[in-house]
Amino acid sequence: MDQVVAVASADSIVWIEILSRMHDVLARHRFQRGPITIGRAYDNDIVVDDTHVAAHHLRIVPEEDGTLVAEDLGSHNGLFLDRDPERRTRVVLDGERALRIGNTLIRVRTAAHEVPAEQPMLRSPHYWPLAIACMIGVFGLAMLDLWLSETGEVKAIRYFTPLLILFLVVCVWIAGWSVLTRVFTGHARFGLHFLIVAAGMLAYSVYDQAAEIGAFAFSWTALATSSYIVAWLLFGAMCFAHLLAVGRTRRPLKFAIVAVLAAAGIAMQTLKQSEYRSNYGQPVVLRRLEPPALRLVTPQQEAAFFTDNAALRVELDKARTEEPVGGDGLDLGDD
Amino acid sequence: MTENRLQRFARLAAVLVLGSAAFTARAQLPAPATTPTTPTEPAQIEPARTQPEQVAPMPIQPAPVSAAAEGIYAEARPSLLQIRTLVEAAGRQSSIGSGFLVSKDGLAVTNYHVVSQYALEPKTYRLEFARPDGTQGALKLLAIDVANDLAIVQLDGKDLPFLKFDAAALADTSPRGERLYAMGNPLDLGFTIVEGTYNGFVEKSYNPRIHFTGAINPGMSGGPAVTAAGKVAGMNVAKRLDGELVSFLVPAGKAAALLERARKDAPLDLAKAREEIDRQLLAWQADFYHALGEQGFRGTALGPYQAPESAAPWFTCWARTNADQTPKPRAQMDSTSCSSQSSLFIAEDIETGRTELSHAYVRSIDLNSFQFAAFLSQYYGSAGMVRTWSRKRLTQPQCHEDFVERGENGTAPVLRTVWCARAYRDFAGIYDVAITTVTQDRDKEALISRLSMQGVSYDNALALAQRFVGEVAWTK
Repeated sequence: MDQVVAVASADSIVWIEILSRMHDVLARHRFQRGPITIGRAYDNDIVVDDTHVAAHHLRIVPEEDGTLVAEDLGSHNGLFLDRDPERRTRVVLDGERALRIGNTLIRVRTAAHEVPAEQPMLRSPHYWPLAIACMIGVFGLAMLDLWLSETGEVKAIRYFTPLLILFLVVCVWIAGWSVLTRVFTGHARFGLHFLIVAAGMLAYSVYDQAAEIGAFAFSWTALATSSYIVAWLLFGAMCFAHLLAVGRTRRPLKFAIVAVLAAAGIAMQTLKQSEYRSNYGQPVVLRRLEPPALRLVTPQQEAAFFTDNAALRVELDKARTEEPVGGDGLDLGDD
Repeated sequence: MTENRLQRFARLAAVLVLGSAAFTARAQLPAPATTPTTPTEPAQIEPARTQPEQVAPMPIQPAPVSAAAEGIYAEARPSLLQIRTLVEAAGRQSSIGSGFLVSKDGLAVTNYHVVSQYALEPKTYRLEFARPDGTQGALKLLAIDVANDLAIVQLDGKDLPFLKFDAAALADTSPRGERLYAMGNPLDLGFTIVEGTYNGFVEKSYNPRIHFTGAINPGMSGGPAVTAAGKVAGMNVAKRLDGELVSFLVPAGKAAALLERARKDAPLDLAKAREEIDRQLLAWQADFYHALGEQGFRGTALGPYQAPESAAPWFTCWARTNADQTPKPRAQMDSTSCSSQSSLFIAEDIETGRTELSHAYVRSIDLNSFQFAAFLSQYYGSAGMVRTWSRKRLTQPQCHEDFVERGENGTAPVLRTVWCARAYRDFAGIYDVAITTVTQDRDKEALISRLSMQGVSYDNALALAQRFVGEVAWTK
């Protein structure tokens, strides 16, 4: 060996890291300070299997003042800084921003690069017991609802099928969010997603039952017919919570996306209902009666009830001339 | 109560106009049928082509035309008309019926339903007549009588042959069993004469109709039914689809009265035909609901409840129970349904005039109180507004529902009540209204009552409904 190996001081060690798109380190190479070449050819210090990288693409060289500089060796596709669209021939390296050649991201750090302080070990909260409790509540309420509306022959399949479908949908939903979270943060956070969906569904189940019963108890039909609005709002809240579990950044954007989604859902369903009514002339009345004991409101006096009925006439007469007939094309007549 | 559950009334009478789409169905006299029969028959757009196919497989039942009929037909033939409604743009017939001349200056009688398309849409359709000798021409619509399904039309001409009304028929003194000869142009096949029997007035029909036992068929609508002396006793109007030879005639007196009116009054202004129909509907329902009110309600005991049923004679009532169902029902439901025989044809998609009262006494066999309430919900939720709804003809229903208390505290059960009403787009002041009540005094027993009124004024609906609700009580 005729070459003297330099003493490995902190500054003389260079780490070259190949990054994924999400900036995870895929490979890390340790070098002594000195020109390091990167390219597809096998005479490089680092060989990159990226067809958009030139045979000899990049060279990392130390400057006189100790900084490291990356130089394009005359490649066709050029050298860029991470997502920056501007092509460069020479980049002074700071150990933070990644270089991009072809589709490959490269980060260069010296041994002197400072790393942040260690994060305290947090014991991840136990979401599971609560999530399971919520889910039992959801399934329990669903079963109870089915049982209380059972007026014919009791058939196990009536209970089994919806529950199975509910279970599968929940599984797929949680799995989807977990995969997404895993991709972005590296942790699946399965338990948290499970808790979010279980809590959201429990909230809706409880509200839905309460709305149905309340609509009867207070003789307030709109409570039951508008429960879909609450369903969409809860769905939006659930999605927002999932998104926060994925990452706590960009909250206003996430909130906006969820708000638009919920608003679109409410608008769609409202439109669908009104279309259905105008196509089939369905009356809007209470769908579910409850046992008389659940009535909380004082009954209307007969005379007052008929006064209210009489008042509907004005609306009907208005609708007679104003309500759109609709373009079913049957009205050939010319009134 | 949902129609398919509580009602097994098949709509089984058809008016006898032959239309291009299908024979107009009409529930003139509903009757129980073990299997529901749909009143529509296959469309016959081109009779010439369908004719041989139709005749071949069907057993031909020639009307038992006696020698007398030959003479009667020969005498009446020149006075007969086929009345065609043509689509103005296409110049082809859209529906056909019959009619007959009643004066030498060209006045003729037919059914309102034969000319209804033209009356409602005079810019889309026109009327034409064809006589047995092949002459054709335009018809003018002079007068209509919606309640009796009659119309007076006029064709140009002088010294035309015509038929006279039978004096006994005008006085309603025709003897039961009298031979009558119905004439017209069935199914666009050509003018025919059919021998049949006069069987008095249909007992339960509010609008007077003669029960004629004879084969009258679509296309014969508006044609005359004459006595052996060749005098008109009635006009062919409808037949029952669930019976054999059960046909109906409008009494001659109604046509004579309308003819009188047509001669006196200015001819119908076609631009205002809807207003005229509206006026007639309002007048008709005023009489009908006045008569209904006079007859009043009588209470029928259903379990611990008393349910109001109309005492009027023109209701047909049927009862049913689910007790014999398999699997064994978990709540027993005994129901009665009374339907007035007062249907009015306005257009193919507007049939009105019926009133229906139904009650169902329901008690739980092994349902808990929530399940029992769910069982009742099935009948409550439709609110009586499910009957055929056409967006073109009716507005969307408006409903009001609440718990209702009657009288002094505790003298009558609290009722969960829903009132739904929709307006007729074509006719001001005419509505379909239904009120449904469910007793709220017990958790496993209830009386569901419903009153539905078609083609009623809002005030009449309110008055009758209030009376109806007031009569739902406990038996004591």
